Amino acid sequence: MYDFEYLKPKALAEAASILAGDGDAKALAGGMTFIPVLKQRLNKPSKVVDLAALGLSGIKVSGETVEIGAMTTHATVAASADVKRAIPALAKLAGNIGDEAVRHRGTIGGSLANNDPSACYPAAVLAMGATIVTNKRRIEADNYFQGMFATALEQGEVITSVVFPVPAKAAYMKFANPASRYAMVGVFVAKGPKGTRVAVTGAGQNGVFRHKAMEEALAKNWSADAVAGVKTPADGLNSDIHASAEYRAHLVGVMAKRAVAAAG
Amino acid sequence: MTATRTEIFSAGIVEAGLGTVTREIPAGEPPPWPPNAELTWIGKDVPRLNGRDKVTGATRYTVDVRLPGMLHARFLRCPLPSAELRKLDTAAATALDGARAVIALARPGDRLRYAGQPVAAVAALSPGVAAEALAAIDAEFRPLPFVVDMDEARAPDAPLVYDEASAPKGNPSGFPAAPGLPVVGNVRGPAVVRRGDPAQGFAAADIVVEGEYRTQVQTHSCLEPHAIVADWRADGLTVYMSTQFTSGVRQELAALFGLPLNRVRVVVDGMGGGFGSKSQLGVYGRTAVELSRLAGLPVRLALDRHEEQIDAGNRPGTFQRMRLGAKRDGTLTALAIESHGTAGVALGAGIGFFAERIYTCPNFETLQHDVFVNAGPGCAMRGPGNTPGAYGLEQAIDTLSERLGLDPLALRDRIDPSKARREERRIGAERIGWSRRHKPGADPGAVKRGMGVAQSLWMSNVQTNVACEVRVLRDGSVEALSSVQDIGTGIGTVMAQVVAEVLGLRPGDITVRIGDTEFPPGGPSYGSRTTASITPPLRTAATRVLAELGREAARMLNAAPEELEAREGRIRVKSDPGRSLAFRDAAALLRTDRISAVESRADDYPGFRRRMPDAAMAHEDLGGVQFAEVAVDTETGAIRVERVVAVHDCGRPINRLLLESQVQGGVLMGVSYALLERRVMDRRTGLMVNADLEHYKLAGVHDTPEIEVVILENLQGNSATDAYGIAEPANIATAPAIANAVYNAIGVRLTSLPMTPDVVLAALGKTGRS
Ligand SMILES: Cc1cc2nc3c(=O)[nH]c(=O)nc-3n(C[C@H](O)[C@H](O)[C@H](O)COP(=O)(O)OP(=O)(O)OC[C@H]3O[C@@H](n4cnc5c(N)ncnc54)[C@H](O)[C@@H]3O)c2cc1C
Repeated sequence: MYDFEYLKPKALAEAASILAGDGDAKALAGGMTFIPVLKQRLNKPSKVVDLAALGLSGIKVSGETVEIGAMTTHATVAASADVKRAIPALAKLAGNIGDEAVRHRGTIGGSLANNDPSACYPAAVLAMGATIVTNKRRIEADNYFQGMFATALEQGEVITSVVFPVPAKAAYMKFANPASRYAMVGVFVAKGPKGTRVAVTGAGQNGVFRHKAMEEALAKNWSADAVAGVKTPADGLNSDIHASAEYRAHLVGVMAKRAVAAAG
Repeated sequence: MTATRTEIFSAGIVEAGLGTVTREIPAGEPPPWPPNAELTWIGKDVPRLNGRDKVTGATRYTVDVRLPGMLHARFLRCPLPSAELRKLDTAAATALDGARAVIALARPGDRLRYAGQPVAAVAALSPGVAAEALAAIDAEFRPLPFVVDMDEARAPDAPLVYDEASAPKGNPSGFPAAPGLPVVGNVRGPAVVRRGDPAQGFAAADIVVEGEYRTQVQTHSCLEPHAIVADWRADGLTVYMSTQFTSGVRQELAALFGLPLNRVRVVVDGMGGGFGSKSQLGVYGRTAVELSRLAGLPVRLALDRHEEQIDAGNRPGTFQRMRLGAKRDGTLTALAIESHGTAGVALGAGIGFFAERIYTCPNFETLQHDVFVNAGPGCAMRGPGNTPGAYGLEQAIDTLSERLGLDPLALRDRIDPSKARREERRIGAERIGWSRRHKPGADPGAVKRGMGVAQSLWMSNVQTNVACEVRVLRDGSVEALSSVQDIGTGIGTVMAQVVAEVLGLRPGDITVRIGDTEFPPGGPSYGSRTTASITPPLRTAATRVLAELGREAARMLNAAPEELEAREGRIRVKSDPGRSLAFRDAAALLRTDRISAVESRADDYPGFRRRMPDAAMAHEDLGGVQFAEVAVDTETGAIRVERVVAVHDCGRPINRLLLESQVQGGVLMGVSYALLERRVMDRRTGLMVNADLEHYKLAGVHDTPEIEVVILENLQGNSATDAYGIAEPANIATAPAIANAVYNAIGVRLTSLPMTPDVVLAALGKTGRS
């Protein structure tokens, strides 16, 4: 770790202005990704701005939407009776992230700001067509994800919450990396106000993506068999020590089929 | 000639019916023990005496040792897989505020052969200053061609890791490598073992089975890293070290630094695993001592996880080509294996003696080769050689049984001469429900279940240079002492049981002091030999101390010493148990503050099969049979090991709880080897890609099957305790049992480790190979 100044502002405006005013200042949520990055000296921030005192944590459910504050931990989402009732697939997704320690520190805002290509939440956000709310604007899921570890966020922009439209059907299936539990391949399927959508994480070289061919198949016929017939090309998928692109392409099909079956 | 006497011992497998054997034994040896059922503590479930300390964190591991003024040391390591050291200037590091000693471990012009090879080391006031000092070392490396892949290293034009003159002649971990073999390119060998005439054997065969098997490099991944705190003082050297062999390290240090043995002390309390990788002093140990000598202060050197993965030993990877000839009834006519293995820059990558010894086969040949690559040195790891060797052979035997239309157990009943394993197969088959086993791939549905079996074989090793002491103090308290260390098996508890059995006390009454060379020299904790080596002399020492105490008690009880026995905390007259003294009251009669007896290991009563300096091998090998039940998801390729039944023998079991825990550990390590672990080297950079525990995955609680352990009581009348080891046999059969179960599940044979989901799918023809 390099030296930095640690700040814990009490107001969103103050946090935002520190971050906007200094290109080397960085936000800190649960630190699950950011602290290891600092420890390995992969980042040299001037200031670390802790978002914990801004009141950004909490869950609000109305009839049609579930709004989750950026600083809400995965464990809170997983345990929330409201989320379980409105979007059970989302609670289940949160409950299968990493391990107990990660779930109690890691946040939805941190996960989305980071946009790890193997993270679970991006698949949910993209498949349900959620809206990312920041201190400046509202960003539609389709415009938010811009490639691995890249998002539409600007310097100094802070995610405050995420608004999910409640879908009629939804499910997430992941084939977890045996060690970290990150998705080797994760597929979120949803049928809701934003249409019939399928988002794939863990597989794409550019991070989370929508699987248009599966969406069309499901729009015509919502069934496991419908997606089972859709081939996923290996081009553009990740190859690493855990799995080849071809293996991942195969898994996308298996996970999608199982997700549709689980969604009912 | 020492005086001898004749004794009749119970002999045989208790579960299968006992007989007797008559032995002439040295006159001073204690009388035969009856089977465990008639003993008070031996063979019983005595919980680890230090269990509470372990779970509450009170146990002191080497990494916990803090001495006043202690410095912190770190290595500068070669960043490249192959390089010439061009420049090494340590002046700035030495001048750094807080740096106390800097040493060079290589000279300009030296050839460095793997990424991670130590180049220099520093000791400083804190780990942070040590890191700064490392950064201040001016080192230049000229990159040289390298090869990290074994197959590529065998090619005629591959970059050479060594020239013939520089190639190592032995293995630095102490694991024996055949001497004097030719080196051609990067390939050394073959080491040849031959009997009979293999060509004739194959000609006489009705069926020939061929197979190729590949095993990966596995790292030891001890939870406690390699660590040492060295304290060099004018009056002698004390070293706290996480080691499997305190006395051995002491000898190495004395020789290396020109010190008399009585000025070198080696101490280890708790140990968090070794598995063969902490058997020697090693470069890190030597370096810490040298730094302490230079600085005049204690020096702590503990490897971090990255260093553990790249330069703390590993189980060599192998490629095995196998041919097996048999008659229609299963009788083997010939077995020929050619293996290539790589221990990186070191030797010892063979497939052991598993195939040589396990089955009756008159015509036999192995050709074993070592292949050098630019990677960290391998060393002995839990069942070295035999673990990869069993992965190949036990699958070939499974294939043969199918080709013959014989049940794999029936085939083994025909070709395996071991009585213990025959009984183990019988018991295991019953426990796992072998009769439920279906034809390969016959399970319908996407998730297919299957069952498999494989066998284990290991040597019954004994350290002959072993001593221990038993003391009785005048207040009736008892101590047992030896420099032997507890690698995690619970040897201290075993020692307490033996002494308690002899003295008629409870194990908790015995204070066991071990892991310190101030005590009589205990043996090493490798080669599954600790219990076999230490318990016989311990029993003899306890018997002698008791005899001395008995002389005092006899006077008081008006009896002859031979008429007495020690039971339930009392010394009493055998024929009249009412006439007795509390053990404590007997001790109060002693004329000195304490009495003691020191004993050394006697030879096994029927002698040894083979004798080596300070060590020997008993006649009967250790067995073991493991059954695995797996579920294979044929859509994702994921294998789940649902159940393992492990039936093992180790002579006379001393503590069933501890034995079970050893077997569970061995099985879990085997599951990890079978399904998860793999060192990945990047062919382009020559670096290890997954040098951590996130990308190098060890089996955890989610991956743990239900493990059922059965331990036979296999009495032979071989020593005062008749006990042998278990740690290594417990690891050898697991991976092939799982592989055979996977075959039974999906009907397709996997021939390489680890059996990851992508490998399974590729084998099923659903995707290409990754
Ligand atoms: C061992 C392990 C296993 C994991 N397994 C999984 C898994 O299975 N599935 C999965 O989806 N994830 C997994 N994760 C990721 C984890 O769940 C967290 O979501 C992720 O690490 C982000 O952590 P955090 O919320 O603590 O954010 P931090 O690490 O604190 O921050 C991450 C980044 O986001 C920025 N940031 C944080 N909050 C905001 C905000 N509100 N506005 C703008 N920028 C912000 C920070 O500046 C930083 O750059 C795992 C992580 C670990 C360490």
